[in-house]
Amino acid sequence: MRNTSSPANEFGTQYYATQLGIYDEMYASENKALPYWERFMSALDSMGSEKLEARRKEAQRLLRENGVTYNVYGDSQNLTRPWRLDPVPLLISSEEWTAIEAGLQQRAVLLNLILKDIYGEQNLLKKGLLPAELIFGHEGFLRPCVGALQNQQQHLTLYSANLARGPKGRMWVLDDRAQAPSGSGYALENRTVMTRVLPDIFRETQVRRLSGFFKAFRKGLADIAMHNKEDPRIVILTPGPLNETYFEHAYLAAYLGFTLVQGGDLTVRDGRVWLKSLSGLQAVDVILRRVDDSFCDPLELRSISQLGIAGLLEVVRRGNVAIANPLGSSILENPALLAFLPRLARYFLNEELKLPSVATWWCGQRRERDFVLQNIDSLVIKPINRSQDNHAVFGGLLSSKEKEQLCRQILAKPHNFVGQEHVSFSTLPAFIDHHIEPRNAVLRTFVVANGDDYTVMSGGLTRVARRKDNFVVSNQAGGISKDTWVLAAKPDKPVSIWTEPKRNQLIEAVIEPLTSRAADNLFWVGRHLERVKTSTRLLRTVLRKHRETLEFKDEIDNECLQVLLRTLTQVSGTYPGFIKCDAQLLKTPQQELLSLAKDGQRKGTLSANIQAFVQAAFSIRDLWSQDTWRSVDNIQRRWQQRVMNNNEMNIEQLQNHLDDLITGIVAFTGLTSESMTRESAWLMLDSGRRLERALTLIALLRSTLASRHADALQSQVLEAVLVSTDSLTIYQRRYRSYIQLPLVLELLLLDESHPRSLAYQLAQLSTHISALPRTKSTRQLSAEERLILQAYTDLRLCNVLELTQVNEEDGIYVHLERLLSNMTDLLWRLADVIADAYFSHSQTSQLMLLNTPEDEL
Amino acid sequence: MKYRITHITTYRYSQSVGLCQNEARLQPRNFWRQQCDYSHFDIQPQPTDFREWTDFFGNQVNYFAIQQPHTQLIVTAISEVTLFPRQNNLDLLNRMTWEQARNLLQEMPMQGQTQSQQGQSQSQLQNQEQLLEILDARQYVLDSPMISVTPELADYAQSSFQLNRALVDVVYDLMQRIYRDFTYDPSFTTIATPLSDVLKFRRGVCQDFAHLAIGCLRAYNIAARYISGYVETLPEAGQQRLVGADASHAWFSVYIPNTGWLDFDPTNNTVPLDQHITLAWGRDYADVTPLKGIAFGGGQHTLSVSVDVLRLE
Repeated sequence: MRNTSSPANEFGTQYYATQLGIYDEMYASENKALPYWERFMSALDSMGSEKLEARRKEAQRLLRENGVTYNVYGDSQNLTRPWRLDPVPLLISSEEWTAIEAGLQQRAVLLNLILKDIYGEQNLLKKGLLPAELIFGHEGFLRPCVGALQNQQQHLTLYSANLARGPKGRMWVLDDRAQAPSGSGYALENRTVMTRVLPDIFRETQVRRLSGFFKAFRKGLADIAMHNKEDPRIVILTPGPLNETYFEHAYLAAYLGFTLVQGGDLTVRDGRVWLKSLSGLQAVDVILRRVDDSFCDPLELRSISQLGIAGLLEVVRRGNVAIANPLGSSILENPALLAFLPRLARYFLNEELKLPSVATWWCGQRRERDFVLQNIDSLVIKPINRSQDNHAVFGGLLSSKEKEQLCRQILAKPHNFVGQEHVSFSTLPAFIDHHIEPRNAVLRTFVVANGDDYTVMSGGLTRVARRKDNFVVSNQAGGISKDTWVLAAKPDKPVSIWTEPKRNQLIEAVIEPLTSRAADNLFWVGRHLERVKTSTRLLRTVLRKHRETLEFKDEIDNECLQVLLRTLTQVSGTYPGFIKCDAQLLKTPQQELLSLAKDGQRKGTLSANIQAFVQAAFSIRDLWSQDTWRSVDNIQRRWQQRVMNNNEMNIEQLQNHLDDLITGIVAFTGLTSESMTRESAWLMLDSGRRLERALTLIALLRSTLASRHADALQSQVLEAVLVSTDSLTIYQRRYRSYIQLPLVLELLLLDESHPRSLAYQLAQLSTHISALPRTKSTRQLSAEERLILQAYTDLRLCNVLELTQVNEEDGIYVHLERLLSNMTDLLWRLADVIADAYFSHSQTSQLMLLNTPEDEL
Repeated sequence: MKYRITHITTYRYSQSVGLCQNEARLQPRNFWRQQCDYSHFDIQPQPTDFREWTDFFGNQVNYFAIQQPHTQLIVTAISEVTLFPRQNNLDLLNRMTWEQARNLLQEMPMQGQTQSQQGQSQSQLQNQEQLLEILDARQYVLDSPMISVTPELADYAQSSFQLNRALVDVVYDLMQRIYRDFTYDPSFTTIATPLSDVLKFRRGVCQDFAHLAIGCLRAYNIAARYISGYVETLPEAGQQRLVGADASHAWFSVYIPNTGWLDFDPTNNTVPLDQHITLAWGRDYADVTPLKGIAFGGGQHTLSVSVDVLRLE
């Protein structure tokens, strides 16, 4: 048995067991670690395992708080997963990087020329340099895009390659990513976190910076704008919050200052692409797309797509919008191309490939096909078209029956398959369960067009497999990411990604347009948040009352509790709940109360509203500041841990969690009011909040006060109403009297100086609505202005004495009830009108096809 | 032979449509058997944006967008064509076997040899032209969006593919068998009906039969493509000709080396000669949909189509 008495000793590199025959990054082919690794590892050694683990946890915390996630398809329970970062980076020497950089640049140049040829002259096919089936048989070859390339210096704006080192220490390209490469944002975030958790080591190591790449990235995108437009409008097109790398889309949008849009936010009119914003249509010049190319235009490409923009390709054809990368560039991701790159490099550049690709045999050629069939056990077999149920397989891992079937498929449609050498990737040190262990690694690199050249990110996204001897490093398979440190000969100063203004140049402030979709989400963030707040306060009051009934066994307490329970059901809309229930439920309400807090599947519960709030906030992740997002994350995470996933929780504990929830919400509200500029975004958020607060206040008052109670009960109910609207202290200070209905109504309905009153909400709404941008300038009031004016006026004109007149027959305060129901009606209509006027993007599209041709001679 | 074709498509919506983008392939294309003398679009309401372009297959495409609210869209395409019937009998005499044709498509030279730019002789140029023709034909051997080759298709086609049979005879036989074995049944299929169902239930319409034949041929590595167009219908003896009672039609074409592309109509069991008007061709229906559009809003929509093929001379 191993001696485990001094765990600190085990942490050292002497326990780092590399595998025979596998290249290790730290040792290269020597017995001794490379000098720069030596220095780095001794720094880690002196830190010790415990401390490094603390740093690793700190990194995880930072990543989680910054909302760095990736989404896992087909896992609705746990959609977003935290991004995992190993604190041990990949170190690459300056000399070696120079060679890699040159290889990547050459490859980008070559792929760009191939792309240009395939969608242009097609000389490669005509001269027989590429077989027709390799292009014609690949789904990435989009016939409508032929001839649609525009006059740009470089067509391939963004390029990314996965690299791995083989057994002899040589770097190989595993695959090329050429349509919408992902990962650069994650690489940047990894770096940001690493400089915080290992600041000393980072400083001493002299690492090349990433900012140069992102500066080129901004410029590269601006450069492709048509008609040499200065200061073009650039948007990032995302498939939406459910996409695997949505975090990155939002992150890059915020970092680079581009607008994040979904297909529905854009429209094609007059041969141009427009952004549907709150202040009307805004022309779009450049689209950085993260939507796969066949999904980008339902008219000409894949008809069923809801992610694209109908007519987009026609705008491209007319040269009125530039897309990075051009539609159709996924043809470059055909793995069969790898087999032909050396020949094409000689043809186009008269050069040999500086970075070789992993050995690839395309079965579309007879000799290669036979080779693959004969050596299937030692090869990786890949379909040339990637799809959900079409994966790469390791021939050696197949049963003889599966193998037979695969061979049949290859023989039937040979051009659809390639065989690739199974490269055993190099290992590098990873910090796993308090130990430094070797793990197989893949490095994703990033390249961007810059003038007539290409700029390579000095670093990249390194990923290692979670388990030993595993080669699958993808996030979907639970891989862990690492920062990549390219060593510099001298200290590398960070550059600002923003262009520096010339002296004395006045810069015009740009107000980024707010998309209708973002406006919609902001509005609902406000509404859901307010729902949560009202229910929490009310639930708290109910719990307190419940405790009192158990303690004092007073009949009035009990009656008051029943009123409050029914109110809770009505305000949260969780029918039937305590309405029309048997007496037993009112006596033992614990289960139902817990369900109102916990049950995420039930509409109107706290958990359901918190989830809806977080979802709406996540859809516009790019609009929140770092701190604000952290407060959203806190609300969700704490509630999940303490309430939703806590099966032991009882009513008493719930009380504390509710207090905590209120604190969390106040933090969010405070941050938004402190950090958001008073533009459209704020107006939408706050309008949603005001509208919902008004609606829930009305529901509360209708349910508790619209009918008369006996005096003793009435005073308890009134107190509960004041408590649950956070108004008791104010009441006591202001009126210095026992609680009576007219004064409560004056305070909660009419007092415009009280931020919890209905009058205050309507006044705010009215100001917000008149400040919202409007497309038509007319002297007439808009529909929403009309409605809010009417509600506000009706409220102002009412008279408290009249409101407290009771109908002796049924004991109802008729005027009060009429006023409240009238208000509800007006406010609901207002919500509809706002949605129609500002969120019209929700209009769905439909495909019209000429039906089956049918006729017989 | 001259024809005038009037093709009217009407969409009616239950709610207003604010914007629609459309793409039409309703303009007959020019090629050796056919010349389009006149083509005109009348679209109501008037499109804000209208543009014509030529697609990858050489078909004429008309893009148009309607940007004002409307509840009805009427697209009228009027065209006049002249057909030049060639003696198809001569084409049918091509004796190249299907194996030879298949090999010819597969054995295209695969080298990077660059031809000298100057001094190309006449025969080299001709050779070059045929190479390009074969290059183009090779995409019609592969699977396409709506046609995927399966063992079932190969099985069905097998009896037509006898050893060393002339390709022309193979296709003629296949066409006859489809005509005999399958029932024309417009109630059975829609655009979305998969080929496997058509084969299983032996029913379908012209589009399905064309797809079926193409799939059968591709299963044996023969290049076959889909043709969208019209066919002249003649009233039965003693009957008045009905205006607008015609319809769109579809058939297929096979690449026969040294002859070129030869059309076959499995729905009518004929070799198209002077009654078939070609609109467009592609790998399958998805490439040549006569009219498609994306509308925003609109609620429910209904569609009606009227086609009239009138012989002028």
